[in-house]
Amino acid sequence: MSDLKGLFYPKSVAVVGASENVFKWGSIILTNIVDGGFGGKVYPVARGKDTVYGLKAYDSLKDVPEAVDLVMIATPASTVMGILADCVEMRINNIVVVSSGFSETGDEGREFEEKLIAFSESRGLNVVGPNTMGIANVKHGLYSMFSHIRLNSGGISIIAQSGNVGNQVMMWAEQQNIGISKFVGSGNEGVLRCEDYLEYFHRDEDTSVILFYVEGVDDGRTFIDVARRTSLEKPIIALKAGRTEIGSRAAQSHTGALSGSYRVFDGVMRQSGIIQAKTPTELLSLAAAFDSLPLPQGNRVGVITLGGGWGVITADECEERGLVLPPLPEDVFTRLDRMLPPFWSRGNPIDLVGQPDVNLFRESIEAVVASDAFDAVIFLGIIGSFQMALRFNEASCRLGQGSFDQLEVFEKTLSEMELAFLDNIIDLMETYKKPIYPVALVAKPGDASVHMREGYRHKVIIYKTPEEAVLCLEKQYKYYRYIKRQEEFLCVK
Amino acid sequence: MREIIKRAVEKGQKALSEYDSKRIIQQAGTPVTRERLAASRDEAVKMAREIGYPVVLKGCADTLTHKTELGMVRVGLGSDKDVEQAYDELMSRNVPVDGILVQEMIKGDREFVIGLTRDPQFGPCVMFGLGGIFTEVLQDVSFRVAPITEGDAEEMIDEIRTKKILGEFRGSPPVDRAVLVQSLVGIGNLGVEFEEIAEIDINPLIVRGGKPVAVDALVILRGAAESTNSKTA
Repeated sequence: MSDLKGLFYPKSVAVVGASENVFKWGSIILTNIVDGGFGGKVYPVARGKDTVYGLKAYDSLKDVPEAVDLVMIATPASTVMGILADCVEMRINNIVVVSSGFSETGDEGREFEEKLIAFSESRGLNVVGPNTMGIANVKHGLYSMFSHIRLNSGGISIIAQSGNVGNQVMMWAEQQNIGISKFVGSGNEGVLRCEDYLEYFHRDEDTSVILFYVEGVDDGRTFIDVARRTSLEKPIIALKAGRTEIGSRAAQSHTGALSGSYRVFDGVMRQSGIIQAKTPTELLSLAAAFDSLPLPQGNRVGVITLGGGWGVITADECEERGLVLPPLPEDVFTRLDRMLPPFWSRGNPIDLVGQPDVNLFRESIEAVVASDAFDAVIFLGIIGSFQMALRFNEASCRLGQGSFDQLEVFEKTLSEMELAFLDNIIDLMETYKKPIYPVALVAKPGDASVHMREGYRHKVIIYKTPEEAVLCLEKQYKYYRYIKRQEEFLCVK
Repeated sequence: MREIIKRAVEKGQKALSEYDSKRIIQQAGTPVTRERLAASRDEAVKMAREIGYPVVLKGCADTLTHKTELGMVRVGLGSDKDVEQAYDELMSRNVPVDGILVQEMIKGDREFVIGLTRDPQFGPCVMFGLGGIFTEVLQDVSFRVAPITEGDAEEMIDEIRTKKILGEFRGSPPVDRAVLVQSLVGIGNLGVEFEEIAEIDINPLIVRGGKPVAVDALVILRGAAESTNSKTA
C-alpha cells in the first residue's frame, strides 16, 4: 500500500473547479482551506478567471508554476479523467475527488468510476473518493472538506463512509471540545478503501483512536487482517449501519458499497477487536473516552455519589454491563470512615448523602482510586454543584439579598475551585493509571465536556448521564480484556 | 471426506445426503447419531437391533433436503415390527432414495444449531445458536469468519442470549462445551478447506446428558446455494 502521508500533510493545495459562488463545492472547499488557516500555498484552478477570493487563479493545473502536493477536484464527473491526466503530467500523486456522478448514480457513472480506478491504479495515484466530502488534518491546519468546522487537535482520527455522519460527529466534537486528529470521507472508495485508511492511521503518530462509520467493505478478508493488526495497538470504534433489514437496503442504495449481513459483520468486529457503537453519539463518546482516559485493568468499579438513588442507578448499569462493585476493603473503609459524616453509606456505592464538599469528594476519590481493590472510579454530583450554588445565590440577589458584584467574585472563586478539582482528577489518573468518570449534577447546554491540562496525557471527560459513563467504562474494559486475551494467545503460540 | 465431496460434485449433486453429510461433519469433529444405511427391510431390522431400540427411520438421498415435509421420517420405533412397518411405508412413498437410514433416537432437552455460510465479502462464516423449531423465530445466533480459534468458538457460545441453558438445566448436567468448541472449529475449517461446500446446517444438535450429538445435517454444495433453502443462509 502506498503511503498516505502526502495526502494529509501537503505543503500546497490546488482546488480544481474553484469558484466564488458560496454554495458551490469549489467555493466551500477553497474558503474552508484558506479560512481554516492552512499554512501552505493554495492555488485555485478555474478556467477564464484571474483571481478567486483574491488568490491568483489558473486556467489549468498545468499552469501552476510551483509544485502541488494535493489536488482537490470539484468539477463534473465527465471532466475528472482529464484532470487526473494533468496530475500525472505534473507528478501529483495525492488527489481528492469531491465530484459526484460516479457509481452512486447508475450505469454511466459506474463507467466513469471504472475508468478512474483503472487509470489511478496503473499510475499509482492516491485517490480519495470519488463522491467524498473531503479530508482534514487538524494539527496541520488543513480543512480541505465540506464542513466548515474548527476543531481542537486531539488523537481521534475519523473514517466516514457517509459524509453526513462524519459532518455531524465533527460538529459535536467542536461543540464539546473533543480533540480530533484527522478526517477522511471515504466516498465510493474507488481507489483507496477504508482498510487503507485504517492501515495509515495505525501507523500515524498523531492518531491514538480510530472512529469508523462503516456501511460495508469490499474486501472482507483484507479488512479483517488490517483491523486485527490495528486494534492490537489502537482502539477502533465503529458504527455499522444496516442493523435491521430496512437499514441494510438503505445502506445498499446509499453508496456503491455492498452492505454485508449485519450479523456477520457483528462477528467480524468482535473477532477483530473493534469496539461497537450503536449510535453516532455513542461513536464520538466512546472515541473521546479512549482518547482521554487510561484503560481500566479490570472490571471492579468504585462508585461515589452525592445521593443514594443515583448510586443505585449506576450500580444497575454496571451490573448489566458486566462490571462489578466490590465491597470496600478495610483500609479504604477506615480511611473514608475517618473523614465522612457518620451517616455515610459504609459501602460501595459510597453515598456521601448530600455533602457537596469538594474536599470530601477529592479525598474519597483518591481513597478508592489508590486501592488495589478497584480498577476504575465513577463519581456523581460534585461537578455542577457549583453551578447550582451559583443559582441559589442569583435567586437570593434577585430577591434583594446580596449584590451581583459579590456574585461575580463568588462565581470566579467557584470556577477556579472546579478547575483545580478537575486538574486534580487528571493528576490522579496519571498517578494511578486508572480511569475516573465524573458525572455532572448540572451541565449547562453546550458546555465543553472535555477538560484538558497542558502537558498531560490524560483528559477529564465530564459525563451528562451515569449510563454514558458506564457504557464508556464497559467498552474500555472489554477492549482491555480483548487485548489481554490476544496477548495470551500469542504467548501460547 | 474429499472422496465423498468429489464424487457428489462430479455427479452434479446440489447437496449431500444426510448420511454423507454426517460422515463429513463427523470427520471434522462433530459427534453424530449412530446410524446405518439399510438396503432392505431385513437389513433395517438387523441394524435397528444392533443400534438398540428405540430408533428412527429416514429416507436418505441427496435430493431429500426436506425429509419431514415429505413424510420421509418415522420416529420412536420400539420393535422389529415397528421397523418393518416403517420401512415399508417409507419405500411405498415413491420418493427416490439411496436407502433407508436407521438411526438411534436421541432424547435430549436442549437443541442447538451449528452452521456454515458464505458471505459475499467475508467468505466462509461459522454460526452457532439456539436450535430446533425456534431457530428462525428467535434468531438467537452468533457468527464468526472462518477459520476460527478455540477462543473465538468460546466467545460465540457465550454470545447467544439464551446461553444460560448451556449450564445445568432441569436436572441435566451442563453442556460439554469442549465438544461444541471442537465442532465449531471443525466446521469452520471445512469451509476454508472445501471451496465446493457452500453451506452446512447441523440442526438439531441435541444435547443428551450433557453431550451434544448431531441428529440431522445437511451439506449444500456450491453452485446450488441459491436454489436450495438453507436455514443458515
